[in-house]
Amino acid sequence: MTKSNDLAQIIVGCKNGDAECFSQVVDIYASRCYGYFCRLTGNKDVSDDLLSQLFVKLAERIGSYKGGSFEGWLFKIASNIFHDYLRGKHRQKKLLDVRKRQLGSDITGLRREESELVDKLQRAIGRLDAETRELIMLRFYSQLSFKEIAKMRSEPIGTALSRLHRGLKKLRMLMEES
Amino acid sequence: MNDRNNENLKDLFERFLSAEQADEAVKDVVEGERILREYPAPEPDKELIADIQSKVAARLLRRRVDVFRKVARRAVAIAAAIIILAVVSVRLFEIGGDRSGGVAYASAIPRALWESDDIAADDMELAVFTAEVRQIEAEVLTLQLGENGRNGERVVVELEIRFVEIQSDFWKE
Repeated sequence: MTKSNDLAQIIVGCKNGDAECFSQVVDIYASRCYGYFCRLTGNKDVSDDLLSQLFVKLAERIGSYKGGSFEGWLFKIASNIFHDYLRGKHRQKKLLDVRKRQLGSDITGLRREESELVDKLQRAIGRLDAETRELIMLRFYSQLSFKEIAKMRSEPIGTALSRLHRGLKKLRMLMEES
Repeated sequence: MNDRNNENLKDLFERFLSAEQADEAVKDVVEGERILREYPAPEPDKELIADIQSKVAARLLRRRVDVFRKVARRAVAIAAAIIILAVVSVRLFEIGGDRSGGVAYASAIPRALWESDDIAADDMELAVFTAEVRQIEAEVLTLQLGENGRNGERVVVELEIRFVEIQSDFWKE
């Protein structure tokens, strides 16, 4: 784990536009952010794309980082990127449904190809509601405290706590069932 | 950076649940996170990481070029403003210098005319008029002295006619 002081220096370098410092940030956080995207999307190609978007956006917006939890700031961007992806996917699904009705054919093949990251955990995660799923992944991969998560999601800490508790409990049950 | 390491889950849950329920909740959370660790998500490919790093470097380069362009545009604008200001200042200075002539510039009447006491000599019309008046005076004087051999009455009528002519000509102009 990178020490806070080292990370602070790397971030200062990033703010000064040092490409080497950005490379270090990518090395430090790529794995966790990729895990976050993979578990939420269940798709490797999409996760590749979202991860690229995340770090390019990070380079563009590093000037707006005014201190505080860097992970919180980074995962806030990651969360926004994921939500943008969801909106796009929703629009795409609507178009696909319209097309399907027009053609009168089954286009489920495409959807089957999409979910290539199917392990036992991914199936169980897929059975959780979207809000809980995102909260669990955010907590696990960002390693933020509940206080930081509640602040980031603009919700009371009690809400985040109880939702995460219920979600993880259900996840365990689902894993035991399968 | 983050305060997760200082976080006491049991204390947090006890703010909302009984001590017993809080213990149970902490166990559920710990167990759930153990499962997540047991099934790690895939790691990003090395090629992907290298690709991202090169994309970020390219983005930084583009940003630097954008910043340079922005600075250059601003510098050009400032230089243009300075040049315009300088040109305007020089022109204003030149106009200001010419103003020192004062009355001479403002007045349409020649300065000599103002300073002269002989108005008739300065104005051509007045000069002609004056000359004609003097000629008539001389003729009247001749008549009075009886030096003119012609019929005196006719000469007086002629004089009156000329007077009227001169008067009307003068006021016309």
